[in-house]
Amino acid sequence: MYSPEPLKGTLQTILLKVLKDHGKMYGYEITQRVKELSEGRILLTEGSLYPMLHRLEAEGMLKTETVLMGKRVRKYYALTAEGRSLVKERLNELFDFIKTISTVLQVKIT
Amino acid sequence: MLNAPHIDYIIKDLHHRGIVLDGFQDEVIDHVCSAVEAEVNNGKNFIEAYREVLKSFGHTAGLREMQKQTFQYENQRTKVMLKNYLTLAFRTLRKQRFFTLINILGLAIGIASCLVIVLFVNNELSYDRFYKNANRIYRVNGEIKFGGNHYKLAVAPAPLADAILNDYPDVESAVRFRSRGSYLVKRSESADNFKEQNVIWADSTFFKIFSVPLLEGNPGRALKEPNTVAISRKTSDTYFPKGDALGQSLILDNTLNVKVTAVFENMPENSHMHFDILIAMSGLDEAKSTQFLSNNFNTYLLLKDGVDVRTLEMKMTGLIEKYVGPEAAAVLGGEFTIEKFRASGNKLEYTLTPLTDIHLHSDLTAELGPNGDITYVYLFFAVALFILAIACINFMNLSTARSANRAKEVGVRKVLGSLRSHLVRQFLLESVLLSLFSFFLALILALGFLPVFNDLASKKLALPWSDPAFYGMLLAAALVMGVLAGLYPSFFLSAFKPVNVLKGNVSLGMKSGFIRSSLVVFQFVISIFLIIGTITINRQLDYIQNKKIGFRKDQVLVVNDAYALRDKLQTFKNEIAKNNFIQSGTISGFLPVSGTWRNDNTFWPEGTQPNQENMVGLQNWRVDVDYVKTLGMKIKSGRDFSTEFPSDSSAIVMNETAAKQFNFDKDPLGKKISTFNGSKPDGTADPGQIRSWTVIGIVEDFHFESLKQNISPLALFLGKSDGMVSFRFEARNTQDVIQAVEKSWKTLAPGQPFQYSFLDQDFGRMYATEQKLGEIFALFAGLAIVIACLGLFALTAFTAEQRTKEIGIRKVLGASVAGIIVLLSKEFGKLIVIAFVVAAPLAWWGVDWWLKNYTYKVEVGIYVYLAAGGLAFLIAWLTMSYQSFRAATVNPVESLRTE
Repeated sequence: MYSPEPLKGTLQTILLKVLKDHGKMYGYEITQRVKELSEGRILLTEGSLYPMLHRLEAEGMLKTETVLMGKRVRKYYALTAEGRSLVKERLNELFDFIKTISTVLQVKIT
Repeated sequence: MLNAPHIDYIIKDLHHRGIVLDGFQDEVIDHVCSAVEAEVNNGKNFIEAYREVLKSFGHTAGLREMQKQTFQYENQRTKVMLKNYLTLAFRTLRKQRFFTLINILGLAIGIASCLVIVLFVNNELSYDRFYKNANRIYRVNGEIKFGGNHYKLAVAPAPLADAILNDYPDVESAVRFRSRGSYLVKRSESADNFKEQNVIWADSTFFKIFSVPLLEGNPGRALKEPNTVAISRKTSDTYFPKGDALGQSLILDNTLNVKVTAVFENMPENSHMHFDILIAMSGLDEAKSTQFLSNNFNTYLLLKDGVDVRTLEMKMTGLIEKYVGPEAAAVLGGEFTIEKFRASGNKLEYTLTPLTDIHLHSDLTAELGPNGDITYVYLFFAVALFILAIACINFMNLSTARSANRAKEVGVRKVLGSLRSHLVRQFLLESVLLSLFSFFLALILALGFLPVFNDLASKKLALPWSDPAFYGMLLAAALVMGVLAGLYPSFFLSAFKPVNVLKGNVSLGMKSGFIRSSLVVFQFVISIFLIIGTITINRQLDYIQNKKIGFRKDQVLVVNDAYALRDKLQTFKNEIAKNNFIQSGTISGFLPVSGTWRNDNTFWPEGTQPNQENMVGLQNWRVDVDYVKTLGMKIKSGRDFSTEFPSDSSAIVMNETAAKQFNFDKDPLGKKISTFNGSKPDGTADPGQIRSWTVIGIVEDFHFESLKQNISPLALFLGKSDGMVSFRFEARNTQDVIQAVEKSWKTLAPGQPFQYSFLDQDFGRMYATEQKLGEIFALFAGLAIVIACLGLFALTAFTAEQRTKEIGIRKVLGASVAGIIVLLSKEFGKLIVIAFVVAAPLAWWGVDWWLKNYTYKVEVGIYVYLAAGGLAFLIAWLTMSYQSFRAATVNPVESLRTE
């Protein structure tokens, strides 16, 4: 488990990348997927996940699709074209950031 | 998979915890269900699993926080936000159709009136500013107080311009104008004359000082040579449609042959002078006079850059000592000095008026044309602001009154996490939208209203469609007004505490309306004020038109430009007098309405030495023997002129005021008065030549100028004065009279334009300004009332709606329809009474101020005020009674059943 602070800045990038790799997903599925990929070390809180999804949607990066499942309604998120280009941008930013951090901290990331 | 009851449980529980946001709610439910499923699959029971999941969400607080953040993220984007606000605004406006309509209509009428008035004011303020040197051009005014007369003149002596140019190097250039009334104009080869009003003699410096563009001709030589003229494009088009005006000849008044040497662009509407024909001053003998005692020339100076006008004005007092003093001494005898002249309360001075002030601030004798009046500009501007204020008040009143209905909306939205700033923005947007609609409608209204106003105000105003600044200003005004008008309602509404609102214990609606009541009072104060103003102006007009003016203005036909008949003038008069429907006729250019001939000289009792004490400035009018009879004046004592007394050629008939001035009160008949009757070669009066006249009769005072002025001393002489011929005719078909007169004119003066008017019309024309003012005032007073009543109408509708249940219960308990109408009307009735109490003293003060202009004024009795108050009350009551009646006649079952 990591402290939520460094996670905050990378949440958007993580969401975008996961959606890019897996196509459409719903909220719970995303948390599980991230948990799985991080081998249980990154747990997305719902409190930060949903506001971020809605914000990306409002900004036009995500499109949604709702599916009726009995009494429940499931809402799937997927990247729009705009969102797709954002993923690259965000990833580059993140790599760049990690590189910078490593030089600042004088350590080598393996 | 979870079973249905489990899912229901989760849905209900989440709802209970306050998760309600559209779109978000479903998502959370799905998420929770999925998570719970996963836990259940791990072997937990449902309740435990649910608790676990809730914990990961942070329980109720966490869930709510999440919902709030989601909501805010969704709304943070301006586009989305604006779209939301717009949708909501449209929805509310549509739902409240009645109020929206009244709001928009009221505001639109207000804005349209305001727009028209702003156009008017703007036009008035733009006068003469387009001249390139406008800020360096000044007109010389003369003020003379002497011999019981007080003149404020827009004219100066002929030699003054040269004297100023000589003595004061501050002055760069000067131009003089000499007006000699209208001229009959024709081309040399044509037989038909046209009457031209705007003809003036002018110095050649005109084109240098006033930036009027020359279209043809040499600017350096225009107006230099005697007997040359410069004509406007309009005139050139009339007389020389082929465009070959230059070098051609025109004949003025059948005698003066002049050559066109320049054509200039028509002078703009917003110039205080409008000339069509300028005649070169070098051809006018009078212009070469060196006499400082006669003032006939409108003189304009062009100052050098940076010259201080006040200093120049101070220096100009030197002109009096240097030029005027010695000349006056020569006329009045040796002991005259300027010091003594001033010491005995007389006055003689020259002042300067800036060109740009002439139109609005100058109303002197011998202006180049009728000017505007800054008072009216202020007055109209105030009226425009008032009307706008009334319209804005309506808006605010209706919005706050509606707050009761919207309070619940505010409460619910606040509970849902809406911030106060959201609500303020929402309400402001609604009011800005209304304001924009209103401006749009106002433009359409103004378009329809402008012709009416132009007609009333004799203007040619138009909306500046092609000016982008106009749209910018409109838009800015619409935004500012929307925000201003929406400010109070939006802050008032958004300040509600949701708890109080939803519990229903916010005191709202009609009972919390102190501000609203004062605003209604304010509206009606303005309305009542305007009504009183309108009634007063119209009564004063009525008074003037029907006052005993000392002569009979009805049934008199005036034939203008009688000099065109030349030697056939007497024949013309005799011929027409033969008709049995003509009672009598008289030849004289002097008529008791302004704008006709005037002639002023100083007289003194015969046998005394003329000095400052015994000289009387006297209007001396040359008339014929039928004058008094034809115009219907009354001889008070003595007799009228008669052909039986050949000695009448040196007799005079004077008015009562003149007799008083000469101290002839007791027995004026047979007294003699004298005046200078000749001038020296240099043009000054010759003390050696004096002529005397004998008083044979006293005519009752009659008004010969506007009733704004006192009757001044006047005397009638027998003499030739060929300006006009007037006929008193019997009441019968006026058309026949005109035809008969025109027929004689055509035979006796072929080719000359036949111009006639009726004396009562000429008389009415003296009060054209007042007439217009009265009509415009009535118009705006009407508009103000309409807007105020629109507001009142909606307010009553609102009260009635609010009190539906109360009315229902009262009716069930036996209240009568009449009783309920009274109940509903009482509240606003009270306000109107208060408004009347406030408006009456204000109006009294205003009326008093306006009537100060008039020497003869109508008494405005208390009943005018009562009538105005009553009228306002009646209109307001009628407005309210419709709504009240509707509310009162509703079947109580209907109003009580609905909950």
